[in-house]
Amino acid sequence: MAEKRDVKQGTLALMILRTLDVLGTLHGYGIARRIEETSKNRLSLNYGTLYPALLKLEQEGFIKAEWRQSENNRRAKFYALTAAGRKQLARETREWHETADLIAAFLAPRKEVP
Amino acid sequence: MRYIRAALARIGGVFTKDRADDDLREEMQAHLEMETAEFIRRGMAPDEARRQALLASGGLAAAAEAVRDQRGLPWAEGVAADVKYALRTLRHSPAFSTVVVITLALGIGANTAIFSVVNGVLLKPLPHRDGDRLIYLRQSMDGPGGGNISFSVPEVREFRKGAPSLGWIAEYSPWFGTLQGANEAIRIDVGLVTGNFFEVMGLSPVLGRLTRPSDDGDGVPAVMVLTHDFWTRHYGGDSGIVGKQVRLDGTSVTVIGVVEPAPWFPDRMEALANMVISPHHLSALMVEGREHRMTEMIARLAPAATLEQARSEVAAVYARMQRDHRDTYDAAAHYRVAVMTFKEALGEQARLTLWLLMGAAAFVLIISAANVANLTLMRGVRREHELVVRAALGAGAGRLRRLLLAENLVLTLLGALFGLGIAISGVRLLTSLAERYSPRASEIRLDIVVLGFTFALSVILALLLSFVGSLPKEGSFTAAIAAGARRVSGSLRKHRLQRGLVVAQVAVSVILLAGAGLLTRTMIRLSQVSTGLKTEEVLTIDVPLLQVGGGPSVGTDPAAWFRALLQSDARIKVRYDQMRREIAALPGVIEVGLGSSVPLRGSTARFELKAEGKALAVGEAPPRPDLRTANPEYFSAAGIPLVKGRAFAATDGQTSGKVAIINQTLADRFFPGEDAVGKRIAWTGELLKFSPISPEWRTIVGVVSNTQDGGQDAPPRPVVFMPFAQELAMGGVLVVRADSNVANLATGATRIVRRIAPSAPIQGVLTVAQIKDQSVAPRRLNAALVSSFSILAVIIAAVGIAGVLAFSVSARTNEIGIRMSLGADSGRVQRMILGEGGVLLIGGLALGVAGAFLVAGLMRGLLFGVGPHDPTTFIGVAVMMAAIGIVACWIPALRAARIDPAITMRV
Repeated sequence: MAEKRDVKQGTLALMILRTLDVLGTLHGYGIARRIEETSKNRLSLNYGTLYPALLKLEQEGFIKAEWRQSENNRRAKFYALTAAGRKQLARETREWHETADLIAAFLAPRKEVP
Repeated sequence: MRYIRAALARIGGVFTKDRADDDLREEMQAHLEMETAEFIRRGMAPDEARRQALLASGGLAAAAEAVRDQRGLPWAEGVAADVKYALRTLRHSPAFSTVVVITLALGIGANTAIFSVVNGVLLKPLPHRDGDRLIYLRQSMDGPGGGNISFSVPEVREFRKGAPSLGWIAEYSPWFGTLQGANEAIRIDVGLVTGNFFEVMGLSPVLGRLTRPSDDGDGVPAVMVLTHDFWTRHYGGDSGIVGKQVRLDGTSVTVIGVVEPAPWFPDRMEALANMVISPHHLSALMVEGREHRMTEMIARLAPAATLEQARSEVAAVYARMQRDHRDTYDAAAHYRVAVMTFKEALGEQARLTLWLLMGAAAFVLIISAANVANLTLMRGVRREHELVVRAALGAGAGRLRRLLLAENLVLTLLGALFGLGIAISGVRLLTSLAERYSPRASEIRLDIVVLGFTFALSVILALLLSFVGSLPKEGSFTAAIAAGARRVSGSLRKHRLQRGLVVAQVAVSVILLAGAGLLTRTMIRLSQVSTGLKTEEVLTIDVPLLQVGGGPSVGTDPAAWFRALLQSDARIKVRYDQMRREIAALPGVIEVGLGSSVPLRGSTARFELKAEGKALAVGEAPPRPDLRTANPEYFSAAGIPLVKGRAFAATDGQTSGKVAIINQTLADRFFPGEDAVGKRIAWTGELLKFSPISPEWRTIVGVVSNTQDGGQDAPPRPVVFMPFAQELAMGGVLVVRADSNVANLATGATRIVRRIAPSAPIQGVLTVAQIKDQSVAPRRLNAALVSSFSILAVIIAAVGIAGVLAFSVSARTNEIGIRMSLGADSGRVQRMILGEGGVLLIGGLALGVAGAFLVAGLMRGLLFGVGPHDPTTFIGVAVMMAAIGIVACWIPALRAARIDPAITMRV
């Protein structure tokens, strides 16, 4: 079985925000499943990584949580983006693209210097 | 915003822990079930599905822990847990905790109390606006009374012109007057000030207004500003007093305001008035007389000017002044002007004493801390097992250090709390001490700065204590755990540290003891100095009746003024005589004398004196004896022995020839090796013109022995007595001698004085014993404080030695057992332990004596009649410390000798 990668610090928040943006209100299990699927199972997300990250986003006011019935009639905590969270997602996405471009430029194959 | 919000959420998280824990559990449970359901849906058996789901979770407990760390303030909660744990541990060893807390409380308490005085008197910023820019100037010269000769108005004028760095200069001169009240009069100290005084000083009124330049000069209404202290003390803080007229020395003065509380210098003041109150201060003599020095100078630095600039400008002006007036500034007397900040001037007298006490207190703290450190070290060894177990359970060295720090913080803060209690009771005593040295004593408070000092001290102590009990290095734990060791021991190093601490304790105790010894001997020497009086059973009642005022006003006829003065003088003398006769009739009274001055007190009236046929050597300053008057009974009533000639007699009256009695010091000065009786002396000098004293020749009829008028430690001053009847009653002191217990006469005698002179200010009713005591009291308090500090230090040090040795014995029980079973007898074991302590003791003594030798040199100014390196004191101190140390060593040595080898070997 291939070694699964742990989520890099800082990127998890962005993944959670994006997941909630795409799928709307979702519980912890759903978020974890979605992230793992999107990563084509290259990422593993245990509780000790996921829940502190959710709590942190909640403390920062980017997501809000409420208890609701799940699809199979179980009480579960559902998370949703807030307005601030939406803004934060846009900002972080932009920053991430910029960083990625920058790093890509650095790592581009060297052109021969005449 | 986001961070604030997150921080708030986390703080909130500390308090909603329980509910949040339930929520989290349910949330994760839901997650688990959904995942299990998913695995089942994919075709797994339920049990397997659940197992896989659990595996994927990565551990529920660890996840919950991670969330909890994110939720609250894990650091703060950790500290709270540490403190809780520390309290529990300390409760389990009550003896240790009690000893440590008491030791620390004594050390911290002493330091807090003394620091509160140092802070209030020396460090705190002045209450004046921009108080650090206030400059005090002092002119002084060699010779007795030359310490502060103040300035004359012409001198001030030149500084004002020639030293631009002194942006503003105010003048004030200490003066006193009789304030007439409804029922009684009191003598108050008044500062006569220039109008700009308060502006320069940077003081504001709490009521009414202060003086201003328009209050200067002649022909303006007399106005007076009350000091805050006098206003509350005398007028009960009545705001109605402002605008009222009061009578001061027979002149009507308007009270214009009350000034905010402030220290007064060089003397205490009760009110500040404009110069017009004292015609003398506006006279030509005052304004033009270069040698007529009655004025104090206070200046405020000009903007951007520095103290250094002011110093050099003042020096330049003063040098020019001395060149221009060579006859005024006798080169042999070394006239000089010191420029210092006002704050420094205010603290000058107190500085040495206070730093001495602060040093003593610091030493006590060092000894206490050393003792606590030793106790901690010993306890640390006993706790090693516990620490190893904790390390085995996963506590890192950092975590253990934090635990120790929490324990030590609890100890030092508890110590500080009790120490504050000690300080609160000590501050009152210290304030009364400081009042003798500093005008700022009323500013002594346990304020926020002092509390901060105490807190900082506790934290620093806790940090130090946490690091002396050195923890084993991170890696070494594992080895210790693996070996199943009950102890990890850095024992040798710790041993050395403990011994070093004991040596330091002994050394510091010796230094303190030496200081205490020197001060105590100083005090004993002082009280052994003969006052010069034959008995102490003498009561004095100081009741000045004559109001001389400042002299004739400018433009009035001095002769008329003098005639009026003589008339009231005659009336007053009748009343004095009546008091004298009635008090003499009280039971137990042997004799009642009458004179101008209280025995053993200095007098302010001094003039230059010449002797017939005695020329002064070139450059020799004429003597300026104290001028006093006495009636025929004064000398025998006060117990002043007559050395030669006769006392005054009833025949030395107004109309008979002028006579005088001089004291031994003056006789030795003018007539060495000759008989002074029959010689003639006369008052002289420029100042005399302005006094009611005549410059005619007076025949010496007697010589009396010296009395300690300037205090027990001052060399006796020259004194001239003149018959009370022949001079104006410039002062009035009744001197009552009784057969026993003269203090009991005070009430009766005071009642007589009150009845005969209902409006007279009674200055003081004191026995000679009390007067003598007052002059020794500050030294006694010094000696008592340092002595109690040193006794404290010695006790703590003795406990320290005994403790360390006892610990060493208990750690070596096995070894001693083996030695004994191999043939060492108990005497030998005892000697071994004694030797171990003796080495420490000798080391400490040697270091201490050397240290005391250095420190004592700094104390020179506080000593009297004993050198700073007094061998008697040093030997006495060393012997005392050695004796106490040996006793402290003996106890553990005896215990070692009683060890039963059979028992120790079995263990």
